[in-house]
Amino acid sequence: MDFQSLFVISIGAIFVSNFVLSRFLGICPYIGVSKQLDSALGMGMAVIFVMSMASVVTWSIYTFFLAPTQANVLYLIFMKGSGSPPDLTYLRTISFILVIATLVQFVEMVIQKLSPGLYRSLGIYLPLITTNCAVLGVSLLNIDSSYSFIESLVNGFMSGVGFTLALVLMAGLREKLELANVPKAMKGAPIAFIMAGLMSLAFFGFAGLKLG
Amino acid sequence: MKDIPHFALVLTVVACFSAGSLAWLNTITRPRIIAQQQQELDAGIMQVLPGSENGVIKAVENDGTVSFYKGYRNADSTSLIGYAFLIAPQGYSSNIRTIVGIDSSCSRVLSIKVLSQKETPGLGTKCEEIRSGETAPWFQEQFRNKPYADLILDKDGGTIESITGATITSRAIMLGVASRMELLRDELDIPNTMIN
Amino acid sequence: MTLTKEFLKGLYKENPVFRLMLGLCPVLATSTSVNNAIGMGSATLFVLLSSNIVVSLIRKAVPGKIRIPVFIIVIATFVTIVEMVMAGFFPALSKSLGNFISLIVVNCIILGRAEAFASKNSVFRSILDGLGMGLGFALAMIIIATFREILGNGTWLGIPVLGESFNPITIFILSPGAFLTIGYLIGFFNWFESRRLAGK
Repeated sequence: MDFQSLFVISIGAIFVSNFVLSRFLGICPYIGVSKQLDSALGMGMAVIFVMSMASVVTWSIYTFFLAPTQANVLYLIFMKGSGSPPDLTYLRTISFILVIATLVQFVEMVIQKLSPGLYRSLGIYLPLITTNCAVLGVSLLNIDSSYSFIESLVNGFMSGVGFTLALVLMAGLREKLELANVPKAMKGAPIAFIMAGLMSLAFFGFAGLKLG
Repeated sequence: MKDIPHFALVLTVVACFSAGSLAWLNTITRPRIIAQQQQELDAGIMQVLPGSENGVIKAVENDGTVSFYKGYRNADSTSLIGYAFLIAPQGYSSNIRTIVGIDSSCSRVLSIKVLSQKETPGLGTKCEEIRSGETAPWFQEQFRNKPYADLILDKDGGTIESITGATITSRAIMLGVASRMELLRDELDIPNTMIN
Repeated sequence: MTLTKEFLKGLYKENPVFRLMLGLCPVLATSTSVNNAIGMGSATLFVLLSSNIVVSLIRKAVPGKIRIPVFIIVIATFVTIVEMVMAGFFPALSKSLGNFISLIVVNCIILGRAEAFASKNSVFRSILDGLGMGLGFALAMIIIATFREILGNGTWLGIPVLGESFNPITIFILSPGAFLTIGYLIGFFNWFESRRLAGK
């Protein structure tokens, strides 16, 4: 296993192209769930978990069912020896979103059964994650960058970490902001966006990192 | 529990309907998408190998996939202009698909053209920027008739002006061109001494 | 609610971007130029309108417990249609919007309208709602893109508007500019709304 490339992917996913601050994925929970540090952490953990799982599952779906390769399961079962493998990549969006929705539901049920404590802290965030574009976003990104299985898993996990980092930093700032005198019209979301802009500016500094 | 067959039926009907309509639409749009990509590639090759408009372009295969293209000045393919190849070096946030034309001795770039990239808007995307009053992207024009030995960015003491704020993009394109040229030279058995 | 109001509410009072703050990812990511904003806005309008129509048509045949998966399939189908048609007929636009076309599927406004409105109302009302919300979204995108493109690139729809002497403030088409622009615009609309209510 090439650890250097995994390291480059990790640093890239957390800092250089941070999901929230540079790729603009997962903005809704970023603004919506960043009012308190506790809930931000809970949401972050749930996102890391679902993003890693989704990366693995969607990568497998794409590689073994949709991509026109000799390893395509549908090709091996139904069309062995007749013509070329089918190109089903146009079903990417629809299959990914269904798989993610099912996965989130499934994870919710499993956690509820196995660990009621964990369910109480993560449970309320899970349904929100289906429509979190970061999850579908990371799945599409893995395919676009032609990552391997391990690389997809690492990218999914680390992108989730990047999301959590941005979310937790923002929640910390917003708790302090409660005490500040903000113009009435700018209270809440507007000032959060301005702060996100400044954070994104700061994260630009990571662009100078020389990797690889 | 007795609802489950009903649920399954509804979901199956909806899914079949959706898959059916998408499969049908795919038969219409897919040929267009493929034709478009081919056309874009052909136009790109013709552009980076000046003089090939009236001649022919031949794809050279290696292990079943197209490795590079040969461009000829005339239709009976006797007068070779040079070679063209596709590169997709990793830039800052995307792979920069670029078509490159080089001369027949593999010692000089003729011209390059970026086909697609998703670099940072306002920085890396400037590799396709056309300055007002000009007709071609200034960054790519710098590669026109550049000898292999001069493929060096200004930041590294060379003459290729890098894009402000997008050194990674500039360097990726430059290194992509240079390294693929070296590989092609091996493939064609052109000794390295010729270019030094 | 009257039919006109059903249509108009999406444009200002319940504007998805400035008032409800839904579906912000594509707004921030693809508002780098007015051209992209128009492309993304129309794609979203199409998906929203079509899914509203279909959801409203099938609302009585779909059991309540499985409505969400059914809605997701309907929405994803229309998103894929947009993807394929754009790649086939508008390749340049398709390239510059990239994955954000696929991501329309997780745009909260679309599932939100299907669930909150189209699954409870007649087809005609759902069409008006979809048109109003979709246009409101597209307009908001164009407003944001106008600020970003003029300040960040000195052009509007690719036409230079600020003259040669203007030095573009590149930060506005980079990611910080997106956050700053939308923050100030939402702040402005909050202020405007409180003024309007105070005047009543």
